[in-house]
Amino acid sequence: MAKSVFSTAVCLVLGTTYCFVLWIVLSHDYDWEAIQPYWKNLLSGWWMTILVSAAALLLSILVAALLTAGQMSAHRPPRLLSRVFVEFVRGTPLLVQILLGYYLVANSMGWDNRFWVGVVILSLFAGAYLSEIFRGGIESIPASQWNSARAIGLSDSQTYRHVVIPQAVRRVLPASAGQFANLIKDSSLLFVISVHEFTMQARETNANSYATFESYLPLAIGYLALTLPISLFSRRLEERYRYEH
Amino acid sequence: MSIELRNISKHYGETRAVDEVSLVVPDEVQVLVLIGPSGGGKSTLLRLLGGLEVPTSGEVLYQGRSLGTEESNLRQFRRKNGFLFQQFNLFPHLSALENVMLPLTKVHDFSAAEAKDRAMSGLERFGLQAHAEKMPAQLSGGQQQRVGLARAMAHQPGLLLLDEPTSALDPEMKAEVLEVIDELCREGQRIILTTHEMGFAKKSGDQLVFLSRGKVIDVSEGTAFFESTDSPEIKGFLEKVMKW
Ligand SMILES: Nc1ncnc2c1ncn2[C@@H]1O[C@H](COP(=O)(O)OP(=O)(O)OP(=O)(O)O)[C@@H](O)[C@H]1O
Ligand SMILES: [Mg+2]
Repeated sequence: MAKSVFSTAVCLVLGTTYCFVLWIVLSHDYDWEAIQPYWKNLLSGWWMTILVSAAALLLSILVAALLTAGQMSAHRPPRLLSRVFVEFVRGTPLLVQILLGYYLVANSMGWDNRFWVGVVILSLFAGAYLSEIFRGGIESIPASQWNSARAIGLSDSQTYRHVVIPQAVRRVLPASAGQFANLIKDSSLLFVISVHEFTMQARETNANSYATFESYLPLAIGYLALTLPISLFSRRLEERYRYEH
Repeated sequence: MSIELRNISKHYGETRAVDEVSLVVPDEVQVLVLIGPSGGGKSTLLRLLGGLEVPTSGEVLYQGRSLGTEESNLRQFRRKNGFLFQQFNLFPHLSALENVMLPLTKVHDFSAAEAKDRAMSGLERFGLQAHAEKMPAQLSGGQQQRVGLARAMAHQPGLLLLDEPTSALDPEMKAEVLEVIDELCREGQRIILTTHEMGFAKKSGDQLVFLSRGKVIDVSEGTAFFESTDSPEIKGFLEKVMKW
């Protein structure tokens, strides 16, 4: 009884909200002509977002692997250094990291390739989060697996390679896919250092055409087109994992 | 099997899991059985005997040679033996066949083809040929333990160490696994076993060791099975477990 009242309430609130938003979107008097000259820019921005995210994805896996190894090391110094890095990244806004990374670190090194600076900052950021996911996955492998591996004579490195990591990878895949979707969205902040990605192009389109709706609606749809498939894929992985155990 | 324990102890913090145990297992003993109450130290002693654990003090001699405390030496020793625990022996991401093959290819340097042949004939021997491609989660508890046995036996171990291999199984599966172990005993495989199955211990053990609170209370040879023991603790224990 209480349950059905609750679900009716949820449907009512969300349904009304959706209708309201839909009404705003549909009732707007669109002027697609206004952004006609900028379609090309929007598309190239979308493509740039894909490139930045894909490059940062690959690099972030490397960063995460290093940080995970560091955090799980038997020695104190690598553990401490990795921990400090992860805590810094998790404790400061990405926007601040981009500004610091670009105007302080990259500039003082004389490095001015905005694309690659952006990719590096993003992958350090995503790598820190990813390493927490990886560490959780490795630590979730029960002690009985280590015991069995020792009993059949595997060394520690063989145990990681053949027993722990293959199982951990399955466990972290859904969460890692979710992290990749975040990466795509987070890349939108790179406009502050003028990487010509999707958000930056939409902002410029808006500034030049004064067509706010027509500039930002494609922006939202463009991001959804990238993140939705990943999110669905991640859910499917989660389900498959649930049935395997 | 020629084992000597010299004043061996294993402490976990305050707990004396094994407490100054000395014991000689002569060469004629083919099947050594450790029995006793829960928490008495059976598993710990088995792990010490198999080189899975380093003693806090004392030493284990196998065929006259000390196992030492060096991890690499202990690993060499473990590689010659086979283990089976109560449960969770198998790697859940590998099929039954791959589970048996893994130590053959990674530890014992067999080629993939040789390892596969060997693993298949091992699985057949334990009546598992139809299940070779299944994942552990698709096997019954008894089948899982038999795959575990096939893996432990695949490299023809000198010693087979079994820690309550059937205590997590229902009666029917228990019988199916004990059957297989009994067969190994009759084939002459050297076995060290901890168990709560008194009937099996009595039937198969050449030497029985009763452990309680980390101490060896008594050792029984041959078929006598503590009939003439002076220990009221053993009498009480046997009375209790035989009653049901
Ligand atoms: N890894 C460990 N860490 C801490 N204490 C342990 C550990 N292993 C065993 N112990 C303790 O040592 C004692 C002996 O344990 P052990 O597992 O050897 O007994 P057991 O005779 O095998 O008992 P059971 O019949 O229940 O399996 C127990 O008190 C146990 O709690
Ligand atoms: Mg035990």
